[in-house]
Amino acid sequence: MYRETGLVNSPPPSAQDDAALLALVQRGDESAMASLFDRYSKVVYSVALRVLRDPASAEDVLQEVFMQIWRNPSGFIATRGSLGGWLAVVARNRSIDALRRKRPSEQVDDMALASNCNLADEAERNSLMEKARGVIRLLPMEQRKTLEMAFFDGLTHSEIAEMTGDPLGTVKTRIRSALTSLRKAFTT
Amino acid sequence: MSEQRRITSEDLALFAMQLLSKEETAEVAAYLAQSSDARRELAEIQGDLAIYAHTVDLHSPPAQVRERLMKQVAREKKTVPSDRPAVAETRAAEAAVRPGTIFTESGAIVPSYVTEEIAPKRGIAGKVLPWIGWALAAGLALTTGMLYHEREAMRGAVTAQASTIDRLTADAAAARQVMDTMTDRSAMRVTLTKGQTTPVPQGRATYVASKGTLIFLASNLEPLQPGKTYELWLIPAAAGGSPIPAGTFRPDERGNASVIMPPLPKGVEAKAFGVTVEDEGGAATPTQPIILAGE
Repeated sequence: MYRETGLVNSPPPSAQDDAALLALVQRGDESAMASLFDRYSKVVYSVALRVLRDPASAEDVLQEVFMQIWRNPSGFIATRGSLGGWLAVVARNRSIDALRRKRPSEQVDDMALASNCNLADEAERNSLMEKARGVIRLLPMEQRKTLEMAFFDGLTHSEIAEMTGDPLGTVKTRIRSALTSLRKAFTT
Repeated sequence: MSEQRRITSEDLALFAMQLLSKEETAEVAAYLAQSSDARRELAEIQGDLAIYAHTVDLHSPPAQVRERLMKQVAREKKTVPSDRPAVAETRAAEAAVRPGTIFTESGAIVPSYVTEEIAPKRGIAGKVLPWIGWALAAGLALTTGMLYHEREAMRGAVTAQASTIDRLTADAAAARQVMDTMTDRSAMRVTLTKGQTTPVPQGRATYVASKGTLIFLASNLEPLQPGKTYELWLIPAAAGGSPIPAGTFRPDERGNASVIMPPLPKGVEAKAFGVTVEDEGGAATPTQPIILAGE
């Protein structure tokens, strides 16, 4: 898409898709890296802050995730339009690791992610957020709470079961059902 | 996924959120390794989680975080072969149509769950640079050793030369003292004679034929007229040999004079030495009369 001439005759960074920016990052283009940061730092930071509840720790996760992009952009290129989703999940996993005081449990590029959403586009990203929040709001309270405890608080199904008094199977089903509802809302 | 008895979609969801125990995680990973359906489902779940993550209340990170990141990025500048992006994009396109797979930096498309076994993803530069480093280190060590030996050899040579120089310097100093003493115009020169005889003009030549070295000292010489000079001659011992000029000289106010090491050919045996008066600048052949002569 963009040849040796780099950004000459190319669209402004805001209009470039993630794959193009990642290709530039792979060539060592720092401005492309800045563009990716401007595009996704808010989501990554917000997820980290939600999990860790500590701004300094969330900043560390933010730095760590984006430096991983800089060091190994090829691990993200396959995500194409779902880079934003990928980063959100990676930010969550890194934050959970930090919460557990353990080393990162997976390489960023170990994770395959299927997504039809183009999170590179800010308008589409905002639309997705609103829609996802709406879906979550409509979930049964138990499902919503269980998914939140698992995803944002990093509690295992056993811990959730112990805290809520629900059977293990019920906890697992609630998590799965909540995710299924979310998927349905975005595939119909 | 429903056909699988042990590993369910619920397990995959927990696996995706890293909420399973170590044993359960290994069990699910083993299952994923053999089931493309399971991998596809896991990718779908990750997509669901990505959407769910976006329900979080948004907060902007502090401005200095961006600054810190870009400084770190600048510190870790990298050089990438120009053809890599094209290859990467091609591989990305392939991976995109094959759910559950990703492509590595080396270009291979692999299932996402096995990539941790391929953790060290290094390009050609990443593979070669460490060896270059070791090669440089080995070369440096070799060079250092060679330099050390050369330095030791040079130190020995310098020591020997310094000793020689010291000796030569001492010799030169002694020779200089001899020369200075013989040629010093203020030196006291005394001709010792028997009884109360009047000193007469005389000269003493010391000659080494094999080396062509000559020292001539004269005393009590008569003063010369302006434009005139004394000239010393070497008379060869060989038959028919012409006198060889051995230097000109003028006496000081006390009648003393010397000729030290004039340029002479080596190996010329001398039969006699003589002194004549010549025009200033010397002559090619002696002019009569001979003022001083000696055999």
